[in-house]
Amino acid sequence: MSDTTVPTTGWKPNPRAARRRSADHVATAFGMVMAGILVLVLASILWTLLSRGLAGLSAAAIMKPMGPPGSSSGLANAIVGSLIQTFIALLMATPLGLGCGIYLSEYGAETNRFASCVRFVSDVLMSVPSILVGLFVYQVMVAPFGHFSALAGSVALAILAVPIIVRTTEDMLRLVPTSMREAGAALGATRWRVTLSLCLRSAKTGVLTGILLALARVSGETAPLLFTSLGNQNWSFSLNKPMASLPVTIYQYAGASYEDWVQLAWAGALLVTMGVLAINIAVRVSARRG
Amino acid sequence: MTPGTMQGMIQDSMMTETDPQVAKSPEVALAVRNLNFYYGENHALHDISVDFPARRVTAMIGPSGCGKSTLLRVFNRMYDLYPGQRATGEVIFDGRNVLDRDLDLNILRARVGMVFQKPTPFPMSIYDNIAFGVRLHEKMNKADMDARVQDVLTRVALWNEVRDRLNAPASGLSGGQQQRLCIARSIATRPEVLLLDEPTSALDPISTARIEELLDELKEEFTIAIVTHNMQQAARCADQVAFFYMGRLIEVDSADRMFTNPKQQQTQDYITGRFG
Repeated sequence: MSDTTVPTTGWKPNPRAARRRSADHVATAFGMVMAGILVLVLASILWTLLSRGLAGLSAAAIMKPMGPPGSSSGLANAIVGSLIQTFIALLMATPLGLGCGIYLSEYGAETNRFASCVRFVSDVLMSVPSILVGLFVYQVMVAPFGHFSALAGSVALAILAVPIIVRTTEDMLRLVPTSMREAGAALGATRWRVTLSLCLRSAKTGVLTGILLALARVSGETAPLLFTSLGNQNWSFSLNKPMASLPVTIYQYAGASYEDWVQLAWAGALLVTMGVLAINIAVRVSARRG
Repeated sequence: MTPGTMQGMIQDSMMTETDPQVAKSPEVALAVRNLNFYYGENHALHDISVDFPARRVTAMIGPSGCGKSTLLRVFNRMYDLYPGQRATGEVIFDGRNVLDRDLDLNILRARVGMVFQKPTPFPMSIYDNIAFGVRLHEKMNKADMDARVQDVLTRVALWNEVRDRLNAPASGLSGGQQQRLCIARSIATRPEVLLLDEPTSALDPISTARIEELLDELKEEFTIAIVTHNMQQAARCADQVAFFYMGRLIEVDSADRMFTNPKQQQTQDYITGRFG
């Protein structure tokens, strides 16, 4: 213990403290106003979507396929097309993204040249404009075969999903404490056994969250589908043929001069938004459980 | 001692008879010879030579950073996980040098178990925490596995506390229970040596006491090497104590002599709390 006493001014008001306090109030107010604006933007989008979309969202809109204007058609084939294409995209992107993420976290130390390269490429891929991905897939999967295909659309979506899965998988695995890996190794487990049975298992909620986030990200993508799966007025379940999708249909219908098509576009937009919202809520719930 | 002469031999036998530590443990489980360890450029252990008698508790004490945990992590080649860490010299275990490059690490680690400072329950049920390690090395049916799980949980005095919730996640156990589970997990693979790296430093006094009691029972079967910062713990549990300082082995002796009559001034200073 030292015997120096701290000089004190007692309870006299301190002008510097008053100034700091008012600056604090200003900063708080600024933050709150900005946050309010953000919420307003989202709320007004949702409001517009609901008010316009609900009107067009009927049983027919969901049950009936697309058709010519004035024929009381629906969006059924676009809904199913979107589900098929995103599901196949995830089927391709998940193993690739998981594998890369595991490699980067467990085997790719900072000093590893190849790993740094993979990490950089993946991060760049995350910010590549989605229309470029569409054009690329068009060049390699559409132009050479002479026809659009649902598979090409799925590949384009998968390319967009992979880097998201890679990043979240790596980040989540890095959160697993070293002590877990050491405890596994200390029992005589091989590295892949430790990775699979211990690390991936304890990071599973985070990894799953990443996959869901990727799903949310690609399920509203339009640009990569324009030159790949193109869109289709009719039912088609062939991966080798053009396939309808909600975002592309919205793009086609929203600018049309037919009243019922415009209404269907709003209904479709509402469906996509609700789907993405549902995925985000699922992410929150799964993250909380983990 | 004067080896070779009749008098020397008589002296030897008399010594061993009067000294229970030596008399009961002619076997050496781990023999460390001229061991040097490097973290990259950093020379962390200097020319360590020491024997770990079989079925005895050897405590390693010394101030933080003195190299005692490093030595422990050499015995099961834990350092192999990290590029840039290397060891030279010899650690003889069952006739083989543990440092040999072509040694099967998975077999070594099944024979030399380790328990860490912080309890590390795996993200699975209590039952599977134990079965995990066993399944890596043995194929057995459900009944045998059940028996093994019950056996090791009983030995760490956890069976009565968890028998009704073997399928519950291990993360739900208290810290002391988790640490006993980790010890059970380590002995479930039937190792010969058990390494403990400050196993009670994250636990409350009651859990600590239980683990110390446990060590007393376990040493009938296992050779135990324990790193501890707790002088009383070393005095209570250990048969042999090794004092490390700045990467060097300063002194090794029976626990009695170490704490009552150390030969080195540094040891004396450390155990009386004058530094470290």
